[in-house]
Amino acid sequence: MKRVVDVSIPLGPVHPCWKEPARVKCETRGEKVLSAEVELGYMKKGIERIMRGRPWQEVMFLAERVCGICSVIHNMVFIEGMEAVSGITVPDRAAYLRVVMNELDRIQSHLLANFSYCYTIEHETLAMYLLNTRERAMDCMERIAGVRVNKAYMIPGGVRFDLRDTDRALLLADLAHLEDSVHRYGRMFDTGPLIATRSKGVGILMQEQARIARAVGPTARASGIAEDVRLTHPTYRKLAFTPIVRTEGDNHARIMLRFDEIFQSLGLIRQCLHDLPAGPIRGGGTCGAGETVSRGEAPRGELSYFIRSDEYGRILDIAIRTPSIPNIDACTHHMLPGVTSLADVTSVFVSADPCIACNER
Amino acid sequence: MSLLQDAKNWVRSRSIHVAYVDVGSCNGCDIEILACLAPRYDIEQYGIYVHNNPREADILLVVGAMTPPWVERLPALWAKIPAPKAAIAIGNCPVSGCVYNRRETYILGPVAKYIPIAAEVPGCPPRPTEILSAVLAVAPTVFRDYEVNRS
Repeated sequence: MKRVVDVSIPLGPVHPCWKEPARVKCETRGEKVLSAEVELGYMKKGIERIMRGRPWQEVMFLAERVCGICSVIHNMVFIEGMEAVSGITVPDRAAYLRVVMNELDRIQSHLLANFSYCYTIEHETLAMYLLNTRERAMDCMERIAGVRVNKAYMIPGGVRFDLRDTDRALLLADLAHLEDSVHRYGRMFDTGPLIATRSKGVGILMQEQARIARAVGPTARASGIAEDVRLTHPTYRKLAFTPIVRTEGDNHARIMLRFDEIFQSLGLIRQCLHDLPAGPIRGGGTCGAGETVSRGEAPRGELSYFIRSDEYGRILDIAIRTPSIPNIDACTHHMLPGVTSLADVTSVFVSADPCIACNER
Repeated sequence: MSLLQDAKNWVRSRSIHVAYVDVGSCNGCDIEILACLAPRYDIEQYGIYVHNNPREADILLVVGAMTPPWVERLPALWAKIPAPKAAIAIGNCPVSGCVYNRRETYILGPVAKYIPIAAEVPGCPPRPTEILSAVLAVAPTVFRDYEVNRS
């Protein structure tokens, strides 16, 4: 079909608003975006190729380095896969500590996503508040695991470090501080009139479109799809987890959903600390042969690992499906067409929180 | 030492514009650079501004393990930065390829093969304070008396 297009505008791969290299090509008429296409391939390192044939001890560290923002969930999903393959059970205390670490990681990832969005719409004040709040969440993780980013906290049969009583008290104090700050900044975002003009009704993803693109995570939940892999996770089921859903499907809904999920994560951590049973943190076991698909809810949506290993715990075959793949598809094919201003292209793209490093590996 | 040079030294000591380019990292180092912007580290109190625009940058922070598409793009990007300029490799990846430098990989490191690297900050990832101190250490050695040293 012939279409009248004024200009085809490429954005990226090096762009002031984007943290990672990706190129979005927009066909525009006037300021209106007719269609968009994303061009990837700037970050492809071939991690799955490197993983094949290596022992799980090495693959564990490679899995973490698929994504530096959500490294905990990559670690967790891979380790849970290896445990399922080898029949290793986890002590209760370790299972709860895994949830604590995973939710702290989700808090920092959501704060970072909201920072990026605020930075993109040039609300630098709110962005800096959120980035500073994120440092508190990083502190909590550093205190438990010893490092800030690639922690390798979970290992088959448990976790590496216990939560000491002094750390627990400090963690609770930090959670109270995080809750106060996020409450304040979430309200600033929700009630800001200029933020509303840049966010409300921009980049709408209808529920039907989200289903067609198979969007996952906060992007899908902001469009009214109540899907969350945490619903099927045994530890989260003990904590009576229910996902938060919004129905507007615009930028504002996606960002506010992340704020709401931060409160939910804070609640889950508090519940874990309250219920935390005494006992060992490492059960032990031997990684063996088998084949499985392991799933988990990353901050951006469903993450799944297909793992096949031999009797020595070497990885024969592995395939990773990360949440950003369907979300980028939903963003370029359903959110971006119809955007009325080019300035909104970057903000819509960032609101879906695409992680290019996860995506290309 | 001319008066003009003194003025340039003074201006350049408090105005360092930084761009960063991700040539195939895991995002870890990327986000630690972003964390430098946070009021806790407050990179701007030292006169360092992260604009992420190569054409007005003084220092380029290179993050990542050098994937094939960047082999021709990174030197082109480096050429766009006006002199005086310096590149700092952040993290293990640009230095050695870190965990990605194994059999079957796609990466074509190290970054120093493609552009001149003035300093390297190892770590997986380095802390924001380390990145900050590297920028502060490199800037005076490259920019002070640049015109005198060049001639």
